[in-house]
Amino acid sequence: MLSKYFKLYTAFFRASLTADLEYRANFATRIITDIFWYLAQIIAFEVLYRHTEKIGSWNVEQTRVFLGVLFVVDALYMIFISENLDRFSEKIRKGELDLLLAKPVNSQFMVSLQRANTAIIGNLLMGTSWLVWSLVHLPDFSWVRLLWLSFLIPCGLVVTYSCRFFFSAMAVIFTKSENLQFMWYQIYKLGMRPDSIYVPWIRIVLMTVFPVAMVASVPARSLVEEPQPALFVWSLVVSGILLYLSNRFWRLCLKFYSSASS
Amino acid sequence: MAIAANVEYRVNYFIDAVAQPTVTAVIEILLWVGIFRTAGHATIGGFGLQDYLAYVLWGAFFARIAASWMYEFRMIEEIDSGSVNGLLVRPMSFYEYYLSQLLGYKFITTAVSFLIPLGVGAALGWNIHYDRLPTAVLLVFFYLILVHSISFVVATCAFFLNRIYALTVAKNLALWTLTGELIPLDLMPEPFRGWLLILPFPSGVFVPVGYLTGRVGLETVNQGFLSVAVSLILVNALGLVMWKRGLRSYSGTGA
Amino acid sequence: MSIAIETKSLSRVYQSYRKPEGVWNSVKGLWNRQHIEKIALKPTTLSIESGQIVGLVGANGAGKTTLLKMLSGLIVPSSGEARVLGYKPWERKHEFLRRISILLGQKNQLWWDLAPYDSFSLLARIYDLDLDKARARVNELAQRLRCTHVLETQLRRLSLGERMKMEIIGALLHEPAVLFLDEPTIGLDMIAQESIRDFLADYVRSRGPTVILTSHYMDDIAQLAHKLLLISKGAIVYEGTVENFTRATEDVRTLSFRFSEELPLDVVLPEGHVLRGGRKEHQLKILPQHLGILMPEIARAGTLQDLKMEETDFEDVIRGFLEKESRIL
Repeated sequence: MLSKYFKLYTAFFRASLTADLEYRANFATRIITDIFWYLAQIIAFEVLYRHTEKIGSWNVEQTRVFLGVLFVVDALYMIFISENLDRFSEKIRKGELDLLLAKPVNSQFMVSLQRANTAIIGNLLMGTSWLVWSLVHLPDFSWVRLLWLSFLIPCGLVVTYSCRFFFSAMAVIFTKSENLQFMWYQIYKLGMRPDSIYVPWIRIVLMTVFPVAMVASVPARSLVEEPQPALFVWSLVVSGILLYLSNRFWRLCLKFYSSASS
Repeated sequence: MAIAANVEYRVNYFIDAVAQPTVTAVIEILLWVGIFRTAGHATIGGFGLQDYLAYVLWGAFFARIAASWMYEFRMIEEIDSGSVNGLLVRPMSFYEYYLSQLLGYKFITTAVSFLIPLGVGAALGWNIHYDRLPTAVLLVFFYLILVHSISFVVATCAFFLNRIYALTVAKNLALWTLTGELIPLDLMPEPFRGWLLILPFPSGVFVPVGYLTGRVGLETVNQGFLSVAVSLILVNALGLVMWKRGLRSYSGTGA
Repeated sequence: MSIAIETKSLSRVYQSYRKPEGVWNSVKGLWNRQHIEKIALKPTTLSIESGQIVGLVGANGAGKTTLLKMLSGLIVPSSGEARVLGYKPWERKHEFLRRISILLGQKNQLWWDLAPYDSFSLLARIYDLDLDKARARVNELAQRLRCTHVLETQLRRLSLGERMKMEIIGALLHEPAVLFLDEPTIGLDMIAQESIRDFLADYVRSRGPTVILTSHYMDDIAQLAHKLLLISKGAIVYEGTVENFTRATEDVRTLSFRFSEELPLDVVLPEGHVLRGGRKEHQLKILPQHLGILMPEIARAGTLQDLKMEETDFEDVIRGFLEKESRIL
């Protein structure tokens, strides 16, 4: 079963690449526009660190690593997931959800992963380069630590996906959901800063209710600090719970959809 | 007319004008509180926590005024859709029409949304030079005309290129840093700080908000007016040239 | 002959609230809501044998799409039962979904930026089909639909008719036992409509799936359907063959005309039509073959200023049919 979905996903990815290659200019355009975003994030912290030694519990080298992790997770999210969830409310409005539901495959899988945005590969390269560069300049760094990322980054992705999915799936119930998307993006912004800068109760929220700290802060911790296995296990647990909840929520939305649409 | 049409879209308007800058400001405030908590010294760049909180709060609202996504998109759309006759008949009024819409909309936004930073600042007893507010608002509206001219130039690119929405996005991302919305520009290290202040962009956020919160003085404000004025002349000249060229190429290929 | 689809008192009712006007009523509406029930489908009992093409015909909003969606599992019924191929559709079991196919006119399931061939490969994987067999099947269907030359062109570059043909191939790729077609020819030009109808007739004859076809074009039904279900305001008002129906309703047209002056008295026309006195404008439902007899009489009744003949609105056809039925009874 799992192999069927894996093969199906590779087919979808390849199809997305074929479709994206139709618009070759996009590959360059995304790099040119997003590079300003990356620069802004980097400049903000570099300038601040000229005036202070520490922000949160990290110094400038550590925060650079944090940004690298953020860029990588963000790029991965944009490649695999964002296209699908961004277009979701449009799909519903056009009535295309029906066609999807009539297929003998898991509908959440189809809704979330069908389309990959391969033009973002350039961003992924930029983000990875920055991450590697910042790791090279990190004192007392052992490359073994990268192994933590092998599951912490997927956890970060799952958290981003699940939270975003909750907001997107609501389009099934509320047709005008731009405001919800706006709210989600604000919460996500909180995760774009090292979690150690926030006051304790906010940090707790960012580790539990809206666990956007898992996106970049926790994986970055595994690289720049001594490993905290409890925290990492928590990351796994939270992602698992969120994924499960997203599935239940989806089933609820479908029930609503099949009793309310005409 | 612009005012009446806009007040209709109340909820979206509320989000755009009030909720968005408020939420942005709150997130930035959290960042700065965190920075000061762990900084170990009471001032950064010569200013204390309260100064930064005031800056980011006012900054978020001024940034809202100084940004022009919606009307830029509309101008691009109109040129993209290619009704040549419609455009030929209205040379200057295309620019003026959208400028009046933009100014009207931002005027209402200012009147409504600025109540929030005013209220918060008063309630928390921040050290804001309220007497300077009119000058600050005047500067940002003057800057807004430049923003519109730039949008106009971007829109004329639609005569020649496809999919220039990416240009809008890139420009606005760059402006995020250049206006001082991202961080106060006086924190920038020296060669950059000087260059940035010569450009007209700081007049969008850094100069008016800095003036309001006591970070910059009147000379910087005057420099801002001058810089924006010079840029306006240059950009409008460019816009005129692009417009004429664009119309010519349009009728040439026969849209 | 086995029964492919059967329903028992299947019905669908929507609850909504009356939207209050004005501020005061809106406030009152917070605790005192007036429920409105909209009956999309009245309790319906049907039985459809496998291998039949059933035409489901009715005006917009009559309930045909609701019925179709309930049978394909997209909507849950408010009450009643249904079984398609032995399954309860709304449980949406994968084994069930593998054996049915739904085509919603003008909605694309194929990828916009891919060549249909590539989209079909994806579909083959979704349905666990053998890729070689699927490819052969695509070629065969494309040949029958006469569109092999566009299989490798991106979908967005194809005309509406070609796109529809591709969607049909996509819908038939996994050899469904039941096919739900919702307005398959809507928006297409006459030639495309014809070729699709020919193909469908041919396909069903050779492969024998059960087909439910909705349309508000009588021509679709006349050419294809073995059985006709006429649906009006949520209820099936006719269930029988197409021949019987056309015999009963014939090809009614609406003739509208205006005289320069009001008619002083009622004028009786052949074939049971009457022109009411005291009016300038008149409208008759007539059969085209009676035009020859009626026109001279109409022209004699007054000075014609305006004349128009139109296809009858569907609801009128149904009403006419129902009236005739009650008259016979």
